[in-house]
Amino acid sequence: MATQSRRTPMEAVEYVLIVSTLLLLVVFTLQPLLNLLALSFSEPSKIAGFSGLSILPDGFSPDVWLLLLQHPNVQRGIFNSVWMTATSVIIGVFGTALMAWGMSRPGLPGRRIIFILVLVTIVFEPGIIPDYFLMKRMGLLNTPWSVIMYKAISAWYLIILIRFFEEIPKELLEAAELDGANPFQTFFLVVLPLAKSALATIALFYLVLHWNEFFRAMIYLNDQSKWPLQVVLRQFVIEGDKIAIVGAANANNNIGLAQINIRALKAGMILITILPILAIYPLILKFFTKGTMSGALKG
Amino acid sequence: MAGQEEQQLATVISDGNVPAGGADALSANELLASGNTLGAKVRQWWPYYAMMAPGLIFFFIWHYVPIWEAKMAFEQVRIIPPNIWVGLKNFGVLFSSPVFYQVLFNTLIISGMKILFVFPIPIIVALLLNEVRGGKLRGVIQSAIYLPHFLSWVVIAGVFIALLSPTDGGVNQIGQALGFGPVNYMTNTGTIRWVLVISEIWRSAGWDSLLYLAAIFAIDQQLYEAAEMDGANRWQKILHVTIPGIVPTIATLFILNMGMFLSADLNQVINFQNDVNARSIDIIDTYVYRIGLTTGEYALATAAGLFKAVIGMALVLISHVVSKRLTGKGVW
Repeated sequence: MATQSRRTPMEAVEYVLIVSTLLLLVVFTLQPLLNLLALSFSEPSKIAGFSGLSILPDGFSPDVWLLLLQHPNVQRGIFNSVWMTATSVIIGVFGTALMAWGMSRPGLPGRRIIFILVLVTIVFEPGIIPDYFLMKRMGLLNTPWSVIMYKAISAWYLIILIRFFEEIPKELLEAAELDGANPFQTFFLVVLPLAKSALATIALFYLVLHWNEFFRAMIYLNDQSKWPLQVVLRQFVIEGDKIAIVGAANANNNIGLAQINIRALKAGMILITILPILAIYPLILKFFTKGTMSGALKG
Repeated sequence: MAGQEEQQLATVISDGNVPAGGADALSANELLASGNTLGAKVRQWWPYYAMMAPGLIFFFIWHYVPIWEAKMAFEQVRIIPPNIWVGLKNFGVLFSSPVFYQVLFNTLIISGMKILFVFPIPIIVALLLNEVRGGKLRGVIQSAIYLPHFLSWVVIAGVFIALLSPTDGGVNQIGQALGFGPVNYMTNTGTIRWVLVISEIWRSAGWDSLLYLAAIFAIDQQLYEAAEMDGANRWQKILHVTIPGIVPTIATLFILNMGMFLSADLNQVINFQNDVNARSIDIIDTYVYRIGLTTGEYALATAAGLFKAVIGMALVLISHVVSKRLTGKGVW
């Protein structure tokens, strides 16, 4: 940080220790993931003795990935996850933005009451059983909408957007009004374009939230064909239900899926589930980091 | 540190108050347009309410109707409706059940272990990161250690099951190289709580350090310069400038974590649970899930959930007030 032109040998040693500690944390973080990646690309015959410490594949074979990606349960999981997440994000971003805009207007009658009612939902959550019965009563059980609607508008992200909208200069809005724009036009043509980066941040928040959601899908969706990828993964890796991926017919056969070590299939399955997060990780770093830093500095 | 909620907590920490209502900030235009009559108000504000309508309806259905549904905690659930009102009977059953005290104990011990062993780690990581000169190296380290925060607990549990496998997991291979026998950490009741702690560290040590790092960056550079003039070395600067500078952030996050004490993170625990270790890490939330949705004791499960919700609310409110008093920052 500060200028350190003259460094004693002691300080140099300290510095090496500091950086080494952090690099150790990097290894601790990445090694388990790289090990699974290496495992999933190893030659099927070499997987049995594959070390948990290695991060390089033993031989190379895309078999695990090909088999998983061609598997109907995996494909359906990916399909379900993608469309359910996309729908949730769209509903979430628009619902949150529209509500936040109204709540950010200083003169709105009842603003304080609405704000308090939203805060109450953060503090008091009656629990999973009442939620379950609500879904049941609304006829949403075992439909994807139960999962899509759950937490579709997050009180936290709502507050973030309200704070953002409150900062929009009044002059801009007044100029739009003078030009004869009605409140809808002002919102869609002036406010939303101004809020692009805030909306992108919120969209990313929702994306990560919904992509990673498994619990609600697990308790609301009975049909395996409706499961998102996280639940398929959970059934296979956590519950150890080999049938889900290998298939009853193959479990005792020496063909195809069964021939490949279950361990490698599990590794591949975990990575397939992470892949979309990795794909947007540069964006996540940019927006999440900025959002968190500014939130903290504000206080 | 535990769960999505807290990340969000951290994200929105601000000094904002609930805004006051009223006509304190009407623009000139609005003043012209608004008489004080109800009709004028409706004419002026209905578009905003129209835009808020989907959100308001959403909050009502998904957050307020369940509060109504929770009345089941005071009922006897019958297959053929209506249910019968039984007052506090379900709570009586709950509080006289030894299993309930076991899960309460588990919840408290897991939360306690996390506060003790997970909470300090991001602070240390932030202090170390701050010492790294050269933005490039720091950037690389940060990008690597933030990643697990964005993975689901299903994925993380899958990673740890592989990592801790007694036959070929990395941890046991290191252990065996050092001369220890293989340990099945996932089924050993003595180690499974530590697995929760370590996996929580894996997930949040990096990301949670970001808030502290932001606080460190906000410290006035002149303080460091003054300390250097006084001949302070690295540790003295950390001890007398950096740490005092982030104490408010530490206090805020500590108090907020205390508010989450009864949670102990359902999403984590449910993925680390198996038939063998279930008893040692059964927490209130997994208990509610199990007796409610797998055994079908709806009323009892709702009562347990409501118990947690009410105590949890009290904890969050207390922590909010304490935090506001001490550091000026609250939960919202």
